[in-house]
Amino acid sequence: MTLFRAGSIALLGFALAVAALRPAFAGGVGFSDEEMNTGGDGPAFFGFVRLVDGPGIADAKVTAELKNKGALVTRTDIMGVYKIPGFGADVNPDDVTISCAKDGYKEASVQRRPHDAGDTKDPIEVECYLQKQ
Amino acid sequence: MPVSFFAKRGVQFWGAIAIGLLIVAVRPEAIHAQTLTGSVSSPAESAMEGVLVSAQKIGSPITITGVSDEHGRFRFPDGQLSPGHYALRIRAVGYDLDGPQAVDVGTASADVAIKLRSTTDLAAQLTNTEWLMSMPGTPQQKRPLIECMSCHTLERIVRSRYSAEAFAPVLARMAQYANNTTQARVQVRVAKRPVRDDLVRKLADYLATVNLSSGPTWPYELQTLPRPKGRATHVVITEYGLPRKTIAPHDVRTDAQGNIWYSNFVENFLGELDPRTGAHREYPIPVLKRGFPTGALDLEPDAEGNLWLAMMFQTGLAKFDMKSKTFQLFPIPRDLDNDAAQQSMVMPRASNVDGKVWTNEVAKQSIMRLDLKTGTYELIDPYQLLPKGTQHGPYGMAADAQNNLYFMDFGGEFIGRIDAKTKESTLFPTPTQNSWPRRGMLDDRGRLWFAEFAANKLGMFDTTSESFKEWTAPTPYTYPYDSFMDKNGDLWSGGMASDRVLRFDPQSGRSVEYLLPRPTNIRRVFVDNSTSPVTFWTGNNHGAEIVRLQPLD
Repeated sequence: MTLFRAGSIALLGFALAVAALRPAFAGGVGFSDEEMNTGGDGPAFFGFVRLVDGPGIADAKVTAELKNKGALVTRTDIMGVYKIPGFGADVNPDDVTISCAKDGYKEASVQRRPHDAGDTKDPIEVECYLQKQ
Repeated sequence: MPVSFFAKRGVQFWGAIAIGLLIVAVRPEAIHAQTLTGSVSSPAESAMEGVLVSAQKIGSPITITGVSDEHGRFRFPDGQLSPGHYALRIRAVGYDLDGPQAVDVGTASADVAIKLRSTTDLAAQLTNTEWLMSMPGTPQQKRPLIECMSCHTLERIVRSRYSAEAFAPVLARMAQYANNTTQARVQVRVAKRPVRDDLVRKLADYLATVNLSSGPTWPYELQTLPRPKGRATHVVITEYGLPRKTIAPHDVRTDAQGNIWYSNFVENFLGELDPRTGAHREYPIPVLKRGFPTGALDLEPDAEGNLWLAMMFQTGLAKFDMKSKTFQLFPIPRDLDNDAAQQSMVMPRASNVDGKVWTNEVAKQSIMRLDLKTGTYELIDPYQLLPKGTQHGPYGMAADAQNNLYFMDFGGEFIGRIDAKTKESTLFPTPTQNSWPRRGMLDDRGRLWFAEFAANKLGMFDTTSESFKEWTAPTPYTYPYDSFMDKNGDLWSGGMASDRVLRFDPQSGRSVEYLLPRPTNIRRVFVDNSTSPVTFWTGNNHGAEIVRLQPLD
């Protein structure tokens, strides 16, 4: 493992820990219905969008698509990191396709890190590689 | 099949028209060259900038307001006031009008020296925003109060003397009120809402720390916002008082002839106002579900200029034909209807493309689409990917040229798109979590401008690049409800809290906030681009008036 990759993972771990302190779709303490955001979460995804053998790419579009059910589109931060909060518990993570895009680049490959199929707690890491056109 | 109200109930319809059509003839305001000028001062300030001076002719529902400049001078535009006796009022936080209380405007210009004195009841002058600034507590503790503002001001809460124990049942009771409730007209939901006792108790505990339960004065200092200055004083505001206090104008817009149309949030009427004369007319919307809350929310034109209304708890949609001045109703079918069913939004703008009109089903957190040929609705769940039981709801809607739908996820943090052909949903999270995107508009460059209600931000989603920009409102606790991009590139907004209209230039980041003359619960905002400068319109949802704001630059 390169030093860069180890640092990246540590950074991601920290970011996810911070994110976990805040429910994905919850907010204040209301007497409001947003307190109902207590549904059982399914698979969540995270990872980098990066140049092939290069650094992370900021503001890349990341699409998580579930066939016939729709898609969720987010963007990477300045480090090239993206996070997709938990889908519904009935979503099979293997049915979710992750893709990435940015103007001037084309997708080179998508690599999904090994993940225990029975583990619904830990987010699934998917790296998406772009190359310049 | 769509129910033609004419065909089914022709006699009934005309009967209802005869009985229910309320025409309030208001004496036209003649155009004269007279004007009213003056100065504003107080013992503490010899020349007061940013004081709103309002003049209302005796017997007229129209009030015109100017704002004093840096020299303490104000001037109503020539021709706005006809000769007569005018009552005067002012708005300047911390001050009351000492005199004069009225002025006669004759054939010559009148100049009046307005004198102010320090108020003895500052609390009565605070906006919801100022109460939220003043109250101690965390943002999480204050957060539920943004829902209270839908029905009443926060002053009502802070002036109460309830202990936490006494507050809890009050909150539980109010949770059963329909969202289209005002103090003038309380409406109870037919379907009971589940209420969590722990959340009620938590809120009651907090509210008992900010009201008068512990003593005759508030245990914190009252904070106020500064008076308008500079460009924010270059404005004329006209209030058109409506004939009943129960009228709650929610969405306001102009038609091609310059007339004003509005939805009434708590009564089954569509309202029309001629801003040139003040003449007011109402068109009764048939009541489909007796015993259920009445009133409509979203008011949108289709490509032919006909108006559509989302009928809230009356359910379904209503189309108002602008030529025949009649309604055609599209009730939702029984299998989709229930006691909680509610259509708050409608989007008919591109229905000429495919014969489909978008709406929402609040109780099912879903989108619905009406087929105009068959009158049937289809239900679309845009949140299939997300965990069940989470709080999301399609709210503000816009349609592109292909009638693809863009919706705002009120209660959540997404801008959503429904493909008109495949019905597939794509969700785009806003950069700010829990932003509660509320309402907005799609401009001709494919940019969706919207208000992030809970985040106190304005947002823009570029539908081409699928990217966001966000700007924080200059005043905390503004809670913008809606936004509108005008022809000059200025973004307009307003909300239920600050009594201010925000004009924001996204290019430069500069903003102007125009203070309104009265507590104004702003919902939908609309800009008439046919005038120069543009004209801003909104309704005072709790104040039974239509508000016109004319910037002088």
